[in-house]
Amino acid sequence: MIKQSIIENVLEAALSTGGDFSEVFIEDKFVNSIELQSDKVEKSISGRDFGIGIRIFSGLQNVYTYTSDFTEEGLIEAAKRAALAISGGGNGIIHPLQKEIVQPIHTIAQLPQTVEHARKVAVMRKANEIAKSYDERIRQVGLRYVDEEQHVLIANSEGKFVEDQRVHSRLAIQSTAMDGGEMQSGFYGPGAHAGFEFIENLDLQHYAGEASRIAVTMLGADECPSGKFPVIIDNEFGGVIFHEACGHGLEATSVAKNNSVFANRIGEKVAPDIVTYIDDGTLPNEWGSLSIDDEGEKTRKNVLIENGILKGYMIDKFNARRMNTEATGSSRRQSYRFNPTSRMTNTYIAPGQSTPEEIISSTENGIYAKYMGGGQVNPATGDYNFAVAEAYLVKDGKIDRPLRGATLIGNGAKTLQMVDKVGNNLAHGAGMCGSVSGSLPVNVGQPMLRVSEITVGGTKGE
Amino acid sequence: MDIQQFQEELLSKAQDAKFEEAEFYYEKSNSFQVKIFEGEIDSYETSEEAGVGFRGLYNGSMGYAYTEKIDEDSISFLIESAKANADVLDEDDGTDIFEGSEHYSEHSRYSEELAAVSIPDKIEFIKEVEKKTLAYDSRITSLNYCMIQDFTEERVLANNKGLSLQGKTNGLIIFVSAVAKDGEEMKTGAGVRLTRDFNSLNAEEIAKEAAEEALSKLGETSIPSRKYPVIMRHDASASLLAAFTPIFSAEEAQKEQSLLKDKVGEGIGAETFSIVDDPFHPEALLGKNFDGEGVATEKTMIISNGTLKTLLHNRKTAKKDGVSSTGHASKASYKSTLSVAPDNLYIAPGEESQEELIAAMEEGVLITELSGLHSGTSTISGDFSVAASGFYIKDGKISSPVKQMTIAGNFFDYMNGIESVGADLKFVPGGYGSPSVKVKALSVTVD
Repeated sequence: MIKQSIIENVLEAALSTGGDFSEVFIEDKFVNSIELQSDKVEKSISGRDFGIGIRIFSGLQNVYTYTSDFTEEGLIEAAKRAALAISGGGNGIIHPLQKEIVQPIHTIAQLPQTVEHARKVAVMRKANEIAKSYDERIRQVGLRYVDEEQHVLIANSEGKFVEDQRVHSRLAIQSTAMDGGEMQSGFYGPGAHAGFEFIENLDLQHYAGEASRIAVTMLGADECPSGKFPVIIDNEFGGVIFHEACGHGLEATSVAKNNSVFANRIGEKVAPDIVTYIDDGTLPNEWGSLSIDDEGEKTRKNVLIENGILKGYMIDKFNARRMNTEATGSSRRQSYRFNPTSRMTNTYIAPGQSTPEEIISSTENGIYAKYMGGGQVNPATGDYNFAVAEAYLVKDGKIDRPLRGATLIGNGAKTLQMVDKVGNNLAHGAGMCGSVSGSLPVNVGQPMLRVSEITVGGTKGE
Repeated sequence: MDIQQFQEELLSKAQDAKFEEAEFYYEKSNSFQVKIFEGEIDSYETSEEAGVGFRGLYNGSMGYAYTEKIDEDSISFLIESAKANADVLDEDDGTDIFEGSEHYSEHSRYSEELAAVSIPDKIEFIKEVEKKTLAYDSRITSLNYCMIQDFTEERVLANNKGLSLQGKTNGLIIFVSAVAKDGEEMKTGAGVRLTRDFNSLNAEEIAKEAAEEALSKLGETSIPSRKYPVIMRHDASASLLAAFTPIFSAEEAQKEQSLLKDKVGEGIGAETFSIVDDPFHPEALLGKNFDGEGVATEKTMIISNGTLKTLLHNRKTAKKDGVSSTGHASKASYKSTLSVAPDNLYIAPGEESQEELIAAMEEGVLITELSGLHSGTSTISGDFSVAASGFYIKDGKISSPVKQMTIAGNFFDYMNGIESVGADLKFVPGGYGSPSVKVKALSVTVD
């Protein structure tokens, strides 16, 4: 993408004021996005994202700049502009760059850029038809197809020089049902670190059908009661609860500054024995996976909580300095425009012993959250909230009527301690996670599990 | 190659490639951001970003593509991609490229004085904010976030119908989040400033605001879960309005994704309630004198004393509804196709102060912060169920902070249920503003 000699000159210029580490991140990304709404392809856009991020450390000082100007003069100028903020004692030595070969662990069969738009639209039309014909009350179906090919080159003053190609493909389906004056919607958005083969082989009957079924089910659903209940959270995207409630608090981004409820608690019991929590960027072709992270480190399986004991955090290079520890291949950024920091990849609760049937039949009175919407957490406190896209009342060990307007609210560290059943049916769901280094593809995962008590917010009055 | 040359070559090659109409849109922005942690620079980011969006009419369809690499290869990429995109579109509504408005406002959204403030001065200021925040009270243990950021943005819109427009804006944002601890309890409070006037900033005021907000949340108590009268403080109210902005989009209404479809001229809110979009509001940072397709922008009354006066339109939605564009064609950036979005959308202020609204409340809840708005709201149904922070009010006085709440309701009922609108209009990042608002009742659930 850019000549090695130019990169070396940029790394050197970045250290000209005494920084002790410099890094160059070069990105060239091709994206396509197609939207189908009311049976019509309404939007289709392609683009090329291109730019260079330059980062400098000096002790615990972190400076970042980026530009799309790829001339040597422009890059040297950007590096020097960033270096102005530094006054360190570094010797300006750049280790010779050693090109690393990345062993691809994520097979890409059909690069999206080689696939003509008509084939992508054909899959969307098929999904549209399935969702629309599910029920006569389905009034609107929207689909969004996205693909990306991201080429990155990462080099640093420690001699790292590595290139990688990441490919993401996703199809999102939203169905809207209407009856009288009431409207409700359902959503499903499968994605993978994969090419067009993933889209072509999707079980459209399942995904499009579910989006419509959720919308129709929530139409006429009772308003959710408010109060404290045992809550059964289903597998796959149900993992969003722990992603929001605990995952963010296990990122070095907040741990390193003592702004997490999990800071300084390694070795402590933070959850019941049945809870093991993992972040694994190596799962083949999963939506949140990467071969190398955005600092060029190989991704790996990081066990965060094992049998209830806090074992580790997700750590990036800069926060590793503050924490006096090693990075864990967890550094991520949305694009060259973001200073990278520690973030999740594919985060999940490991499978347990219970079957889903056992969990439901042993719950006398509670809420069953079949599909979760998205959510949010304050990482400093662990206070979270998230929406339930499809909920049911559980009565006498059986799933009863559907409920709408449900929200789960509470505190992550406390909720973690109240997990009392973990199922054996682990599955992963694709989502987008927004935080300080941008919006990223991540998987959230878990088996069905139960929390003995969560506050459920609803619209039904007392 | 330089951008002028790129523009000329792109429009020329588009003509050769049989585009009937073609448009070049260029954006360049520079920004600077510093985060402070314990008196040191925790992160320091400067940036320069630029890109071109290309739009062209090909066989009756409008194809789009963009690039951030300004080189010869990208001209071919833009033209071939725009053709490929035009080929799959089903649009049949005669979208075209605009020749220009008769008049464009002269309002300036660029401050030369702000541009002249040096980086060391900005860094010194934000360090002072951190120092004063930490010194405010021994229970303030750290800052979650302590940031100063500025931006400068330039835009060029040119097409093969002779239109050539340019615009320039700048601004400064400060965001501070203080962490207060008392025993096991931990709370955060924020101080935010949006301005083009660096000299109007006061470090002590910002520090006090963030620290006092965090401290005021300590000692939380529970209240029964039920419906309460609610005062939505200006910033919480602005963020709720931001979440429901799509309901005012004619584009969403035409897709049957807004219940305000066919409601223009009808009463949809309380008589005390008005909503305005003003691209030139002096207290807001956003806003420009031409929209994403070159239409001149102006102040727009959306809801006037409860009556819906207009939805927000671009040229495509306006044509379909048989009305004039309101100048709300939106390009979120050169990467985007045209959509509809407000510039600075706000609830028009009334006359009572926040203190007066509280004093008039016998019992209720003051909501100071909302979260989970991106997932806890449905702009299709108007339903919301989101986490909230705030205080219990009794006998016209703030009584105590309340443990984490969920508030639930419906935005359409909310607009109808507004009883009073305060005078304390403030804007939040993103171009949304509100004064404090008193609402008849919302469901409140307490953990």
